[in-house]
This record gives sequence, structure tokens and C-alpha cells, in this order.
Amino acid sequence: MIEVHELHKTFKSKKQSVTALDGLSFQANDGEITGILGPNGAGKTTCLRTLYGLLAADQGYAKIDGVAVTENPLQARAKLGIFPDKFGLYERLTAYEQIDYFASLHGMHGEQKKQAIEKILTDLDMQELAHRKSAGFSQGQRMKVTLAQALVHQPQNFVLDEPTRGLDVMSTRVLRTYLNKFKEKGHCILFSSHVMQEVAALCDRVVIVANGKLAAQGTPQELCDLAGETLLEEAFVKLIGSDEGVAA
Amino acid sequence: MIQFKALLIKELKEAFRDKRALMVALSMGLLMPVFIMVFSKFAINEAVDNPPIYVKITGAEYAPKLMKSFTDNNILPFAEVPEDKKRQWDEYNVELIIPDNFANNLREGHPIDLTLRADYSEKSLNAPIRRIKDEVRQHSLSIGYKRLLVRGIDVKLLRPINLQEQDTSAPTSNAVIITLMLGLYLMMGAFVSGQSISVDSSAGERERNVLELLLCQPVKTYKIVLAKLICSSLIATISVTLMLSLTTVSVSFVDLAKIGATFSLDVSTFIALLMLLIPLCFLASSLQLFFAFQAKSFKEAQSTVAMLIMVPAMVPLAMMMMDNKPAWVEWAPISAQSILMEDLFKGLPVDWSALLVSTAATLALTAALVVGMSKRLKSEKVIMSLS
Repeated sequence: MIEVHELHKTFKSKKQSVTALDGLSFQANDGEITGILGPNGAGKTTCLRTLYGLLAADQGYAKIDGVAVTENPLQARAKLGIFPDKFGLYERLTAYEQIDYFASLHGMHGEQKKQAIEKILTDLDMQELAHRKSAGFSQGQRMKVTLAQALVHQPQNFVLDEPTRGLDVMSTRVLRTYLNKFKEKGHCILFSSHVMQEVAALCDRVVIVANGKLAAQGTPQELCDLAGETLLEEAFVKLIGSDEGVAA
Repeated sequence: MIQFKALLIKELKEAFRDKRALMVALSMGLLMPVFIMVFSKFAINEAVDNPPIYVKITGAEYAPKLMKSFTDNNILPFAEVPEDKKRQWDEYNVELIIPDNFANNLREGHPIDLTLRADYSEKSLNAPIRRIKDEVRQHSLSIGYKRLLVRGIDVKLLRPINLQEQDTSAPTSNAVIITLMLGLYLMMGAFVSGQSISVDSSAGERERNVLELLLCQPVKTYKIVLAKLICSSLIATISVTLMLSLTTVSVSFVDLAKIGATFSLDVSTFIALLMLLIPLCFLASSLQLFFAFQAKSFKEAQSTVAMLIMVPAMVPLAMMMMDNKPAWVEWAPISAQSILMEDLFKGLPVDWSALLVSTAATLALTAALVVGMSKRLKSEKVIMSLS
């Protein structure tokens, strides 16, 4: 379970100060896919970076399975699988070595690690890729490797930052199927995206963030009802109070 | 430990699989010994041989005996220059003017003015000019002595004091050309070899968007920094060891006996040199990583890190300039190693306490840089510059 409570974050420079988070609170439950929607600059990335323990909030806290990120970042990160927005791969390593590397970083070793890697390779149907160097992989293949390295240690919580960007239909389907499977096993999935259909199709609950605050939350249907619209996209625009970000 | 092992293995795999960067890293180790051999062969030939000098002599016919002693010492008239060297010597344009009253004045005992004209600022003319001057002086002296002898005067009267010179340097210290070059190149090797690997594993990883994900993992930042440091210093160490071993082989092809010098790296000198250089490899890599992590882009990292090469080049030079060396140069990183290396090449015994103190100082500085980087990788400023 991921819990974000009253997060405040202001970036100060000599010339100006920018408030990225202004009291954001939400919760992503186990066994659910929670979507974060928000226009560009709404504070999504700052919120996720606070969650990873890379940034410290000025006020408020983020907890992962009850562990406060600021107090115990390593323990909190160990409960987290991360699919970053700009995912890069180690081009000179094979897919297997890359997954192995992340498994080891999460403290796995020996037979247990080997089995975990084999399992994730089978689950994502990527045995053929396993021993090829990742230089020259297609976007879909890269997505699979990133997914595999994030989930090899079977984290209870999984955060994805715009994972479907640049993916074709087939790869998006693979991702969707896998996320659903993961959800059924009782994991908590937090998912940030700009693609409304995707959020509508995949997410059990949606959190809408605007100006560093929570604008609304609920199931996609509840949000549509709340805004009095039939399409989530229309509801989103109405709820954030402008059409900013729709073009993004 | 599992984490650190994984981090280190990953760094090593990446470094050793990047064949091109690895070749660049080791190129200094491979090429320098060859360069040292070729250069010292050339320098020794210059120092020992008496290559022919071609002088444009006017009035040669007035001084046949002087001409004979010139010819005996390979100082030849310009008319005899071979075709392939004609342009070169024509450009050098060394002129010697003998006046037409040479024979007359000589007979009458008047002083004679010979004129030597050449571009004295031209480095390659230093040796020829010196030889011509020596020859003229020698010839003049021998005439003078003869004049005294015929008048029944002992020529010893002209030399009331004789200076006896005795060189106390050990035979190895004569190979100055080689040791000077080798010392500088070893330092440069330590500083340059790991450079591409350091930049690639820091600024390069950030550019390829893999650093942020790594920082999100449950790993302490000092482990990340240490793994990168060990990897690039290992490459630098390999390069320096290669350079040392190959130089030992390549120098054996140079006939040092010609200048009365010997140069050999015995096992203990070899080990002592490595003990001096390995901490330097670590310091160099940590400096490179430190500046590469500070840089805003890969390009900036490359140019900043390239500036670091000035450090090993300038420190020994600055030390040469210093007349009164302050005490701290004896233990401060780089300067201490430079002094100790010089002593080793001179064949002096290793000053173990100085070696230990300078190693400790170097490693302490490295550790401080590692701590600085680990702290910096946690700072929000670095995180914000990731994207």
C-alpha cells in the first residue's frame, strides 16, 4: 500500500520559487491499480520522486507499506518496483544480466535469484531476448526488460511513470495483461499516464492532480459522474479546471 | 556485499565490453614504451654521434690547416653537402668568414677575426655551433701553445688551476632522458587511462537515463561510487603496469652504454613504483568521477575531466621551478610521488616512510572525494538535474 499525506514541496532558487506540491494526499491500495492523472507540471514527477526517496518533502509524508520514505529510504525502496518514465538500459549488458543486476541490488542471490529471473522471463515471454545485448532492442523489447527488472524481486508495490509512451498496441497489451495479473495477486500498482483510454480501461481508481493538489479521486465512472460527463477526458478537463495539458 | 559485488561486476562488464574505450584507455600503456624507445635512441644518437656539419665558408683557401682540422672533425664545406640534405643546410645557413689577410696576420702574430654567422636561437643548431666554436678555439690554442714553445716557455704556465670533475651520480641516474620521460608518462598514464571509463560510468549513465533508476534502488550511494571508482582505477592500474613492463622490454633495445648509462627496472623498483602509482590511479579516478558527476552534460564532463591532465603535468614542472621546496611537497599527493619516483630512478633506496605517508595522504584525499560524491548523489540538486 502506498500512502501520500499532505505533501508540500517548494523549489527555491535565487530568482523564483516554484511550488510543485501543495498538500497532495492520496492512497493506493493493495489489489488495485491506481492511476495518477494530471496535466504537465501538475507535480506528478515530484510526487513520484518523493515516493522513491530522491526528494525530501517540506511537509507531510509518504509511506510504503507503512514505512516512512524519508526516515527509512532503503527499506521503503526495497518494497518498491519502479518503472521510470525515461527508462534507459545498460546497452552492453544482456537482458538476463540486466535483470540479474537488479535482482542482486534487491539482495537476491543463489538459487532463489535464478528461479526468480527464470520466472519473470517466462511470464513476460522473453526467453529469446534473454541472452542478447540490449543495444538495438525495439521499444517493446526495452519495455519488457524494464518491466522484468522492476518486478524480478516481486515487490508488493509497483510504480509506473507513463509506461505506455512510445509502445505499440501489442506491447501495450502485454503490459496491461501483466499489470492485471499482478493486481490479482494482491499487489498495489500506481500508474501515471496521459492516455485517458488507458487509464479508463485499466485503473480501478483514478487520482487527479492539478497544481500540486488533489483535484478529485474515485473510479473512472465516479469521476465522470462527478463532472457530469460521459468521457473521462472531458471529465478530466472539467475537474482540473482548464484545458491545459490535454494537448500534451 | 551481494549488492556491492553486483555493482562492481556490472561496472567491469560494461568497461571491458566497450572495446573502443578500452583500447583508448590502454593505448597510452601500449604506445608510450615504443615512443620512449624511439625518442631515446634518437636523443642518444644526437648526443654521441658527430654528424657532418655543412658550413658556407668564405676564404677557405687562406687557412688550409684550419680547413684540415675541420674536415677531420666532420665539419665540411657547403659544396660537399649531399643532395638530400642540401635544402636543410641551405636553410640553416651557417656561415664562416675567413679574411684574406689570414695567412699574413698569422705570420706576423696579429690577432685574426673569423666571423661565424648563424641563427643562434635555432635549437637544432646548438650542437653544430658548439662544435665549430670548439674546433676554432682548439686550433687557436694549439697555435698559441706552439708559439710559446718555440720561445722556450712551458705551456703549463697558462693553466695555473686545473679543475678535476668527478661525477658521483649512480650509473642509472645518467639515463636522465628516459627517466624524466618515463616518470612523467607514468603519472600521465595514471591520470589519463581511466578517464573515458570514469566519464562513461558517471555522466554517460546519467545521459542514458540509467542513473536515476539506480538511485531509486535500495542501495547506499557510497557503494555505487566505490564500484565505479574501483572499476576505472583498475583500468588505469592495468595501463600503468603495462606501461612499466613494456618499457623495461623496450629500453633494452636502446644502447644506453653509448652514453655510459644503465637503466634497469629490477623487481623491487618495479614493485615500489607500482606502490606509488596505484594510489595515484585511485586519486585520479576519484577526481574524474567527482568532476564528471558535477558536470551538467556528457560533453561538459569530457572537457572538464580532460583538464585534469594538467595536474600530473604541472605539478612536477612546478616542483622543478621551486628552489626551496616546502616540507609539504614531501608527502602531498602527486608531488610526493613525483619526488619518490625521481629518487627511485636515480637508484637511491626507497624512502619507505615517505612512501607510506604519501600513500596515506593520497588515499585520504580519495576517501574524502568518495564521501563528497556519495553525499552529492543524495542531494536534491543532482536529482533535479537528472531530467
